Amino acid sequence: MSGIVSSEAHKPPTERRTGQGRDLLIVFIAAMTVVAPLLLPMTAYYLNLLMQASTYAIAVLGLTIVLGYTGQINLAQAAFFGLGAYSVALGTVSFGLPFWPALFAGIIIASVAGVVLGLTSLRLGGHYLAMVTISFQQILMLVLTNWISLTRGPDGIPGIARPIVFGFSFADSGTYLALCVGVLWVVGFCVGRLKHSKLGRAMQAVRDNELAAGVVGVDVYRTKVIAFTLCALFGGLGGGLFAGGFTYISPDQFGFAESVVFLTMALLGGVRSPFGAALGTALLILLPEWLRFLKVTYLAVYGGAVILIMVFMPRGIWGFLEALRQRLCPLAVLPVGRVAPLPLTTQVAREDGSIILEVNQLSKHFGGLKAVDEVELSVRRNTVHALVGPNGSGKTTLLNVLSGIYKPRNGQLFFDGQAVTRLLPHERAGRGIGRTFQNVRLFTAMSVLENIIVGAERPGNEVTVGSTGVEQHALAALDFVRLAELRNQTVQSLSYGHQRLAEIARALAGSPKLLLLDEPGAGLNTVEKSELVQLMKRLKGHGLTILVIDHDMNLVEQVADRITVLNFGRRIADGPQAEVLRNPEVMAAYLGNVKTHVAP
Amino acid sequence: MGIALQLLFTGLGIGSIYALVALGFVLIYRATNVVNFAQGDFAMLGAFSMVVLCIDLEFPYWLGILITVVAMLVFGALFNLAVYYPLRNRGFQPVIISTIGASILLENGVLAAYGPRPQALPSFFSFQGFSVGPIFFDSQYLVILGVTVVMVTLQYLFFERTLLGKKMQATSQDKEMASLLGIPVALMIMLTFIYSSALGGLAGILVAPILFVSVGMGSSIALKAFAASIIGGFGDVTGAIVGGLALGVVETFGSAYISVPYKDAFAFIVLVVFLLFRPQGLFGEKVAEKA
Amino acid sequence: MIGCRIVLAGMLAMLTCFGRAAEPLKIGMVAPVTGALAESGRYQIQGAKLAVEEINKAGGMLGRPIELVIEDNQTTNPGSVLAFSKLAGDKDIPGFIGPIYSTQVHAMAPDIERTGRPVMIGATDPRLTHMGNPWLFRCRPNDTYSARVIADYGVNTLGKKKWAIVHSTDAFGTSGMKNLVEVLKGTGVEPVLIQGYTNNSQDFTPVALAVKQSGADVMSTYMTFSPDQGIFAKQLRQLGVNIAWVGSPTTVATTALKLAGPALYGSYAVSDFATDSSPAAKEFATKYEATYKSAPDFLGAWTYDAVHVLALAIENAKSLEPQKIREAILSVKGYAGAEGTYNFDQNGDGLRGYNIVKNDNGEIVFIKHIDFSE
Repeated sequence: MSGIVSSEAHKPPTERRTGQGRDLLIVFIAAMTVVAPLLLPMTAYYLNLLMQASTYAIAVLGLTIVLGYTGQINLAQAAFFGLGAYSVALGTVSFGLPFWPALFAGIIIASVAGVVLGLTSLRLGGHYLAMVTISFQQILMLVLTNWISLTRGPDGIPGIARPIVFGFSFADSGTYLALCVGVLWVVGFCVGRLKHSKLGRAMQAVRDNELAAGVVGVDVYRTKVIAFTLCALFGGLGGGLFAGGFTYISPDQFGFAESVVFLTMALLGGVRSPFGAALGTALLILLPEWLRFLKVTYLAVYGGAVILIMVFMPRGIWGFLEALRQRLCPLAVLPVGRVAPLPLTTQVAREDGSIILEVNQLSKHFGGLKAVDEVELSVRRNTVHALVGPNGSGKTTLLNVLSGIYKPRNGQLFFDGQAVTRLLPHERAGRGIGRTFQNVRLFTAMSVLENIIVGAERPGNEVTVGSTGVEQHALAALDFVRLAELRNQTVQSLSYGHQRLAEIARALAGSPKLLLLDEPGAGLNTVEKSELVQLMKRLKGHGLTILVIDHDMNLVEQVADRITVLNFGRRIADGPQAEVLRNPEVMAAYLGNVKTHVAP
Repeated sequence: MGIALQLLFTGLGIGSIYALVALGFVLIYRATNVVNFAQGDFAMLGAFSMVVLCIDLEFPYWLGILITVVAMLVFGALFNLAVYYPLRNRGFQPVIISTIGASILLENGVLAAYGPRPQALPSFFSFQGFSVGPIFFDSQYLVILGVTVVMVTLQYLFFERTLLGKKMQATSQDKEMASLLGIPVALMIMLTFIYSSALGGLAGILVAPILFVSVGMGSSIALKAFAASIIGGFGDVTGAIVGGLALGVVETFGSAYISVPYKDAFAFIVLVVFLLFRPQGLFGEKVAEKA
Repeated sequence: MIGCRIVLAGMLAMLTCFGRAAEPLKIGMVAPVTGALAESGRYQIQGAKLAVEEINKAGGMLGRPIELVIEDNQTTNPGSVLAFSKLAGDKDIPGFIGPIYSTQVHAMAPDIERTGRPVMIGATDPRLTHMGNPWLFRCRPNDTYSARVIADYGVNTLGKKKWAIVHSTDAFGTSGMKNLVEVLKGTGVEPVLIQGYTNNSQDFTPVALAVKQSGADVMSTYMTFSPDQGIFAKQLRQLGVNIAWVGSPTTVATTALKLAGPALYGSYAVSDFATDSSPAAKEFATKYEATYKSAPDFLGAWTYDAVHVLALAIENAKSLEPQKIREAILSVKGYAGAEGTYNFDQNGDGLRGYNIVKNDNGEIVFIKHIDFSE
């Protein structure tokens, strides 16, 4: 749910009360479902069914994190589930451990496996990562089946004991089910809260736009590893509880087919929400049971149902319900009240001619193409420095090298006196380099405010004092570009011009010392462009340094102090605006209306 | 020495089955950026079709093959319309699940219609094969290898030398650009599915006499074929072939000299090694994302 | 007119009589209708249905017709547990027919113990009747016996001592292999090759080569799926290996014979069911073939026997009480079933011997019966 991120203090009293009321209702429902198996007599059939459903749902919640939040496909969830199950089984049966330590060991083992899998995501994504997870799954299955001396092989492990807590035994199925349901609620709650935490936002940023996430300050790799670890952790937890529930496991239950089942449960229910996970699990466990009357054809009907749901409810069932809710009660444009001004002035220096960014002999080749060819560039503090040149001259490539997206072939970069050539994108953001993109790269599934908050949460930003501080800071950044009222809207509902401003606000929220703007004027009309010019002047007035790429010489003329011109990857001119614009080589290289705008 | 040669021949034989199925994967992936989890089931359908036509209805083989291929062409079109087309703009996850659903539907539909009993399809030639020294050359494997070579050649000629083939290539490399150039993208994708389906069905026809025809025969091949296509270089046709053959050989030798129960693991271990150290596979190109 | 009314009244009376007595007695059956073992499920259900028909024609059980209630276990362990617990929820079901796959029975065992009603199983893992669960009754000889019969026939009758064992790495294959190795070692024979393989391998060249190279003069196989059986047999013959072959019952399963064809000619197998092993078996085979138009194998035979044994026990106990039925089953001695003569021991094992059969050019020929009843 792209919820409203607001601290309680700022909500109007009625909203606070309905929020509390809703929370109470959820707690009440949770308590009822935990207590029900203890009080109501249930047949063994329903107890078994619900035990399977609740333990599976815990595993599926792991997928909510790694796939729903972070956007990484994991087809090895059954393997993690199996690791947890085998730990409990072997722990209690072969090694004589009590249930809880065995379960704990299972969670640890599964998590370590998750870390290992996550580490492989360094250079892989999408289908390749999916294949690594499949391979891990298949190999683990073979090991479980064939390493008979350790795992007892295909015979499986019978007689798994259920836990005893201070003499209170969970051997009764009803009690054990209550335990499983309780754990499910706790896990669901944690997963739900995760979405609105700093880590959760980082995960969603990675999912929505991995490139931008890194540049904006998210440690993408670490986030992915954490996502995999958490996914595996919950998989192991679910598996351990499953083993205790059915008291018998065998390796054929933890194969690739089961991983597919978990994935399908997540996607059908709605992968971005813990409610979706529970819903999908319930549906896919109950559906074959309801369809039993179809005898032989029911699995075929089930397969067909999967396709239909994918076609007509792409965000899963919960997503469909959510979309319905949003259409029925759209988010209001909320007035914003008093907002403290953005503390840009604390980050900055006055124009004193000192150099904040130095680019030495920088080269970037793509095969035989020299996109950037030994470029030298110095950006002075508190100036607006423009980078111009014809299409294909290497401007964006240079900017990408500055951001850390590309590794240069040769050359050095110095920022604020320190070498940054080897830093990763999020580390550069941590030093105070902010950036916007030629094609707006906002995090589409989050609200405008959440996007800005991600920017504010970049490492090393002194503002991150508790969540209120971050949110206020983000609000201030949004206010600076005059978009504060739209903070709860979805990104997609914004006009293109507003999206650009939002992107700038996100960069500003990171308290940058240097702002890299890649064609900020592209796609804007004249009015919007002049507003952009005013914004840049205001930023400069607050002490910021700006390096801007743009094609519109009109705009460049209005803001730039110095201009560097590239052509075919080489620097052909560099200096104060007036000088560069008269340079004949520049005029020759650059097709455009330079001549008509040169001041007499 | 004799043993190694025997293993090599069998390895190449199995490998060419992977290669044929991998080819179908790769074509669909290149055109639509989607992995088709039901690719193996295309082979299963082709095989069952042969059983129904040639065993139950007692048609001659050549007629059975002809009808099956045509049926698979039609099926490819239906598959595209039902499973891919409605989801074409939604990113790859829904499509993956949809193809998984299709796989379940196909396997259980055939199960419900035909029953669970595996069937035998006699080899195309009553001539079983011949021995050279200690090595046995199964005639059906020879047929498969032969057909694979022919298919790859024909396919190469088609894609590189005909206008339609080039249009399909263009679509698979850059859908948007292709459509701006006036290439009917949806039609190209439809043709890709149709061809891939027929290719899958052909693989099933060829494989049926060796592996026997059962409802699950496709999925066990499909996963390894997918791995093979990545090892070869995902997105590259030559890669699919080489990857498939290589995988068959690695598996066979691995199970003979290292461990038979872990046979399936070899494929995946090799895959992981490739993914970690050379994700573009043997022949693929590095793909960089445009910032 | 009066005659009509009398007839009508008579009919009504008869109907009400039958109405009360005709309330069917349900027997639950957990079987794989879908999933990997769906094929075996079909044959098992056919055998059970044949028995049900026969019993009903003879007047039913305790005067009531029996009805078979089948639940699909989807060939999975959780599926088996759910199928069984669903059936067990019906308090009117006095007895059940369980699956043939050992891990599924293991999965169901805790629930079976909790339910406390008898379950007839066809799974051959010896542990199932030795783990203290009083409600499992086995209607097939377990793996210790198949191992002993194989070893006995191979070593003593065929005179071969260099054994190769090829087995699937699943529970069925591994259990069979372990038991055989143990028995062989007991007679002083160390196998020259023990080769496991994963189910649904598409190619068996490495396995066939291993057998060839091991110099074995006799081979035993425990293969779960008939396509694997067929491919292996063909490739073995292609490589020129023609050693004696004494396999598990799946070696003579109907489909395996069909798929492998000539490649399996000349092989021996232990089989709990063989048409010519006894008059009862022959009778069953004739009836089965007449009804289903195909030859039966152990899959249909054991469920046929299981239903009959359960019905017999209920008749003898004259009660539907679980404990009484249990005692009645254990007291079944000398019952001539299709699979052999049932003498239940205290553990719940009804059969303790196997038939040796030979594949004689496609015909399954009964050779002899080896029994280990103590």
